[in-house]
Amino acid sequence: MSIFERVKAIIVEQLGVDESEVTMDASFIDDLGADSLDIVELVMALEEEFDITIPDEDAEKIRTVGEAVKYIQDHI
Amino acid sequence: MAIIRTKLCDLLEIEYPIIQGGMAWVSTAELAAAVSEAGGLGIIGTGHATPDWVREQVRLARSLTGKPFGVNVMLRSPYAEEILRVVVEERVPVVTTGAGNPGKYLGELKATGVKVIPVVASVALARRLARSGVDALVAEGMESGGHVGEIGTFPLVPQVVDAVDIPVIAAGGIFDGRGLAAALMLGAQGVQMGTRFMCAAECTIHPRVKEMIIKAGDRDTVVTGRSTGHPVRVLRNKLSQQFEELERRGAPPEELEKLGVGRLRAAMVDGDVEYGSVMAGQVAAMVKKVQPAREIVLEVVQEAARLLASASRWVVSRE
Repeated sequence: MSIFERVKAIIVEQLGVDESEVTMDASFIDDLGADSLDIVELVMALEEEFDITIPDEDAEKIRTVGEAVKYIQDHI
Repeated sequence: MAIIRTKLCDLLEIEYPIIQGGMAWVSTAELAAAVSEAGGLGIIGTGHATPDWVREQVRLARSLTGKPFGVNVMLRSPYAEEILRVVVEERVPVVTTGAGNPGKYLGELKATGVKVIPVVASVALARRLARSGVDALVAEGMESGGHVGEIGTFPLVPQVVDAVDIPVIAAGGIFDGRGLAAALMLGAQGVQMGTRFMCAAECTIHPRVKEMIIKAGDRDTVVTGRSTGHPVRVLRNKLSQQFEELERRGAPPEELEKLGVGRLRAAMVDGDVEYGSVMAGQVAAMVKKVQPAREIVLEVVQEAARLLASASRWVVSRE
């Protein structure tokens, strides 16, 4: 499974959104309806899935699905 | 005299495990110092205040008490970072944070020995902050006043207690010794109370707000602003009705935010209880009088000690 596929599965599970909504351009807050607490949960789930640590300074810059995928690519 | 003592008292070097919640425009140096003098931990609320104002308040509190006190930093304030710098420079012993994740400031605060206690309303944020080394957490249920989460204190506190291995302070819906005793049974090491201290004699808010809290009944608070993503619990009045009306009509968040600008100050400082934002928790209904902070603190710990000492009567052995 590609990184995008794995990220998508987590987003669908965490935010309860439809798979089709999870595009690379989708913004967590504006398009996927996440609030700040949802994002904390999402970041924790991504850390667990990819066995990485995402510091808060970095986490707050991740606004879209694509940015999350890119961050993970660069850090695993 | 039987009182209550927990690990939180040792951590914060206070006598009783009671923290007065930081409330913008409400918990000024006078109230915070009075609560600290009484043996709890007083907290100066800063909201959107300027760093200069915060520095003055810290110095005023220090002139009123030699005991530890704290500053609450609202992380969505444009001055949050500068206020944290004031906290460090003035060597304030404790900082509580609200409205977000203080993670990126932790390094500097910890390095200078400031004890950091974020307010959380979810298990995930609690776990994340505990991992990054904060000293304790306030788990705040949606019964509280001002900015609220979605989870009630009873389900939130034990879940946060189970998720972290640092002291947890229960907040939201706590008013008296019964609340403190219950919080300890849920696994908390102490409580944070806001609304009750609004009617402390030393609290500098406008008398009309105190009067409104004293008159409030059990159904008199309402949460507005859910559609903006920043819900707030307030006492019902003309302003909350306007908010509800706008939200029913599906007004855009900007319009709602505009309606709220300056309204907290209008209520708390100027006493506009009709069109001001009278932030208060559900326990407003339990507040019956204005009394000194010391009396509040002692009443709560003594009642809790009495209740807990007699609680074993519920335990019976069965063959």
